[in-house]
Amino acid sequence: MTATSIGTLVALIALVALITLVVRPRGTSTVDFYLAGQRVGVATNALAICGDYFSAASFLGVAAAVYVSGLDGVWYAVGFAAGFVPVLLFVAAPLRRFGEFSIPDFLGRRLASERVRLVAVGVVQIVILSYLVPQAVGSGITWQLLVGHGLPGLSPYATGVVLSTAVVAGLVAFGGMRGTTWTQAIQFLVLLGALVWLAVVVAGSGFHYSEAVADLSAEPLANPVHDESGWHLQPESNQLDATQPATFGQPGAAYGPLAQFALILTLVMGTAGLPHVMNRYFTSPTGTAARMTTVWVLGLAGLFYALAVMLGTAARQQIAAAVKHHPWLEELTVDGVLRVPEHALPVLGRIYGGDSGLAVVAAGALVAVMSTIAGLLLAAAASWGHDVYERHINPRATQSQAVWAGRASTAVVALAAGGLAIAMQPAEITPAVPSIVAAMVTWAFAIAGSALTPVFVLAIWWRGTTAAGATAGMVVGGLVSVTMFVVGALPIGPGLGEMLMTPTLVAAPLAALVTWFVSRATTPPADVERQWLVLHGTAADRHAERLARLTIASLGPKSRRSARSGGSARSGADTAGGDKGGHDADG
Amino acid sequence: MEHDDEDVDEHDTPAEVDATFRTLRRVAITHFVLFLAAVAGVPALSLTLDWWSGGRLAGGMSPGFAMAAFGLYAFFLVIGLAAATLSSAVEARMLGGRQDDEDRYADDTYPSDGETS
Repeated sequence: MTATSIGTLVALIALVALITLVVRPRGTSTVDFYLAGQRVGVATNALAICGDYFSAASFLGVAAAVYVSGLDGVWYAVGFAAGFVPVLLFVAAPLRRFGEFSIPDFLGRRLASERVRLVAVGVVQIVILSYLVPQAVGSGITWQLLVGHGLPGLSPYATGVVLSTAVVAGLVAFGGMRGTTWTQAIQFLVLLGALVWLAVVVAGSGFHYSEAVADLSAEPLANPVHDESGWHLQPESNQLDATQPATFGQPGAAYGPLAQFALILTLVMGTAGLPHVMNRYFTSPTGTAARMTTVWVLGLAGLFYALAVMLGTAARQQIAAAVKHHPWLEELTVDGVLRVPEHALPVLGRIYGGDSGLAVVAAGALVAVMSTIAGLLLAAAASWGHDVYERHINPRATQSQAVWAGRASTAVVALAAGGLAIAMQPAEITPAVPSIVAAMVTWAFAIAGSALTPVFVLAIWWRGTTAAGATAGMVVGGLVSVTMFVVGALPIGPGLGEMLMTPTLVAAPLAALVTWFVSRATTPPADVERQWLVLHGTAADRHAERLARLTIASLGPKSRRSARSGGSARSGADTAGGDKGGHDADG
Repeated sequence: MEHDDEDVDEHDTPAEVDATFRTLRRVAITHFVLFLAAVAGVPALSLTLDWWSGGRLAGGMSPGFAMAAFGLYAFFLVIGLAAATLSSAVEARMLGGRQDDEDRYADDTYPSDGETS
């Protein structure tokens, strides 16, 4: 690692720390600490959601999955990007209009039940931990490749895990949602910048995307395996047609027919149940702004994943061709194919940009990890601090005590995730899945999509949902998905195992059915009609928009003129809601 | 529908909200069916039609790979934008009109979602 690489990383972390310091919460209110005062604008929130969502699984994992499995790896990108369409259609606006602190808080209030709240806290914590561990694994892998040596007494991998979780936990505890929002937005821009830079230099070197796919598809797909005879390439078996070799551009290298749909559905359903992403919607000024934020996210996600897929393809072709010119690739590859697929982007960065290129990509990877860890820790803090501490442990807590409870819980959850990541041995799991980081994140999506999303959507769109129904649905969805994982991890034959590892196809409908049946047999909350007005009415949006207009008007004649022209020029409260709330907050 | 500040009613009646809810539900389900057809359709075509994953567009990429690599993301953006625009327009048209006091929900101080917590 050169001084340039170290300088890049240090400058990046210093920038993030500085932003956190400047925009940290000034008061000690929980609305400020957990929700950034509910005034985060459309563009800022979209960037922050992207920073939250595009984790190591997206940055390293998607390219790695494409690198290893070709088209079957692309389904990861499709599923990750598609997940925000159901969020936009069914969740974003009503969730914000109901206006709580967290998913458990939403369910607890909507269904008027502390039991629902506590069960949801349990599920949310499982999802958060399942999502945190692969982020920590991703930071360990990146540190291992970038720095290559660790702190005294720690391996390079363990050092990466410890440093990333410790630094982010400190920033989150200090900066709260306000600081985290801005750092996540900046981190996403850094992440996207690294990806765009790499795509530009790869394309500028003469890489032809379409031809690369055709060339790679012309021969059987083979990947390194390690056995008694050492490292060697082994052709992938075709999961769709055993008589044909698996190829890069055709389906079947990793998943059977049902498993392909199961993977996509798991990712699509899971997004709406991810606590760190959904919590960000509570920070929007209005429901309409939350909806428009999701449109921005869809656009940014499309750009991001299209680039990630392209670079995974480029890595497969270019690294093999570069081995003879770059001797350092010898120890990372077997006959031109990377042993650890998550190295695809960092290695591509080093080929095209030397040590500085490696530093840029590694910085992007660490940023992806850090911003997602930050969101997850904040969601954990909101869940423990607000839903457990304030509600059940110390109902008379002052705002300051509640905020400190949230800060303490970030430290505990970070410690747990770091410990689990160090206890795992990614090198031993890697050969079993296309990308260990992407696969582990998929488990989090599966639990979220099976246990939370069905209940969440029913609570928003069906008046008849009851506390008992929601509790039963979450328990059944969670248990079925975890059971299917465990069975899927056993050697039960090709195809079926992969399908069971993405259990939402079965678990989510089951959870929805159980919620429906139990709800039919029990009584909905007495004030459901009143709640319906809040969920699906826009009175609060209009109130917020009016306040925003008055605030702008009070700033001065110039601002007043622009506010007036903006208000009359817009046709309908639709654009006004999304834009104005956001603009005001951004400013 | 366009409102000046003075014309905007910051209360919704249950009947208005229920009608809006039903319309939005229809909008959401219609768009979701289209979305699901595309998301499931691309891998389904890859499994069933040889030319979809074996054919070659200009340069050599198959139609199936091209859709998964960038076509679907453009579709997600288009369908998301269409649904958001339509939903917001529905809300703007169906909610926020000034109503007679007796038609309002019984609780005059209600609602502002920030006040529920």
